Amino acid sequence: MAVDLSTKAPRAISGALRTASRKADRRPWSERELIVLSWLAPFLFALVWEALCRFGGVNPQVMPAPSAVLATAWTLVTDGSLFVHLGYSLLRAATGFVIGGGIGFGLGLLVGFSRLAEALLDRSIQMIRAIPFLALLPLVIVWFGVDEAGKIFLVSLGVMFPIYINTVLGIRQVDPKLLEVAKVTGLSLRGRITKIILPGAMPSILTGVRYALAVAWLALVIAETIATTKGIGFLAMDAREFLQTNVIVLTIVIYAAIGVIADGIARALERRLLAWHPNFVKGGRR
Amino acid sequence: MSAAVTVRGLRRRYGERVVIEGLDLRIELGEFVAMLGESGCGKTTLLRALAGLDPVDAGRIDGPAQPAVVFQEHRLLPWAPLWQNVALGIETPQARDQAVAALREVGLSGRETDWPRNLSGGQAQRVALARALVREPRLLLLDEPFAALDALTRIKMHDLIKDLVARHRPGVLLVTHDVDEAIAIADRILVMRGGRIAASYDVQAETAAGPAPLRGKLLGELGVTRHDRAA
Repeated sequence: MAVDLSTKAPRAISGALRTASRKADRRPWSERELIVLSWLAPFLFALVWEALCRFGGVNPQVMPAPSAVLATAWTLVTDGSLFVHLGYSLLRAATGFVIGGGIGFGLGLLVGFSRLAEALLDRSIQMIRAIPFLALLPLVIVWFGVDEAGKIFLVSLGVMFPIYINTVLGIRQVDPKLLEVAKVTGLSLRGRITKIILPGAMPSILTGVRYALAVAWLALVIAETIATTKGIGFLAMDAREFLQTNVIVLTIVIYAAIGVIADGIARALERRLLAWHPNFVKGGRR
Repeated sequence: MSAAVTVRGLRRRYGERVVIEGLDLRIELGEFVAMLGESGCGKTTLLRALAGLDPVDAGRIDGPAQPAVVFQEHRLLPWAPLWQNVALGIETPQARDQAVAALREVGLSGRETDWPRNLSGGQAQRVALARALVREPRLLLLDEPFAALDALTRIKMHDLIKDLVARHRPGVLLVTHDVDEAIAIADRILVMRGGRIAASYDVQAETAAGPAPLRGKLLGELGVTRHDRAA
């Protein structure tokens, strides 16, 4: 049955394409249709997965069916524990992001604006950046023990560099022709920073934010696997002890979902802050 | 008449190369001066020195602390709506009203909250003009501002700039390499060669019998011979 589905589906799509193009030659696919289409593949994937588990003889201990994962999710939601763990994880990620992002942005501003600060700081920062931050894990445990501080430190460290680098880059890439405009319009130093340099650096900074969000998650996944009693990572480790594959899969799905949501937030931020930018015009090209 | 700017003995070098040497220039308030010259003759260097964007090596410039400048590219901030672009650097509470009025003057009323990316080349350059004129400058410097526009838009811009200058009466220095443009809008045309002003023509006096004779003279000054023109 599963095989049946996977071979028929593409034919059905191409059939729909053909009729659409015959009906109205010039009409492109509407936004809504494209969004529906983009969900088709993941939906089919889940369907095939479910079918394989039910009829394909896949051992649920190896790979539980999506329905079993959903049932597990429901159990954890009703006893409230899912939200407790989720809350801990989100709080760690957010705290680490704010601290690391703040430090990265601050250092980025300093180095971006001042050649002196660059001479003093940039080389050291680049050297630290060369360390894969996850390699610091054993040291972090020695320094901070297995408390919250260590986890937040790890997330902060991961977040700091992408924000730092993109802030410096953004500031340095501001068009010098626009800085000449600042001069001939008699713009004050403050005006130059708030009206020209920061908006000009914003696309680059937001790229850093998006990248940092992904790094924050990665750091969290690793950090939460060390001696924890709360958090999504703990949920996964605990489930591993008892071979509860459906809980493990659930935690993976949750990590994925939160990653998608975080990226969505970053994109919404881009759309709002970069409304002027040709790449973010509402409704596509003009 | 009082001067918008007076330049005496200006010199500018890039390393060994002398670009401007012993240049004298006086522009009156309300006077429209066009500066012609071959590429690399130093006319843009002069304009940038007057704008305070480049340093000078010797000489005196007596003029307003900050002349207004319109560049060849519009140089609008893409992230600021039009009125904020026009009001850039003006920090009075009336900044927005002044900007809206200036936009109306260049024929863009109702567009004050629009983004620069929605403008055509000519419209963007009109916003740049509004940005220059909203500060009521004593000296207006135009660095080939119409060079990138199509021919029809350029003619409209010529009329617009003439009207605006007649109303606001700043001294104007237009740097261009377009002889016809200079004849169409300037009161006085200067030809720059070898780092100094080589010739000066009063447009009204020279074009009493039509623009052709002055055009011929200017092309001659610029080294365009009859033979070149025929080809």
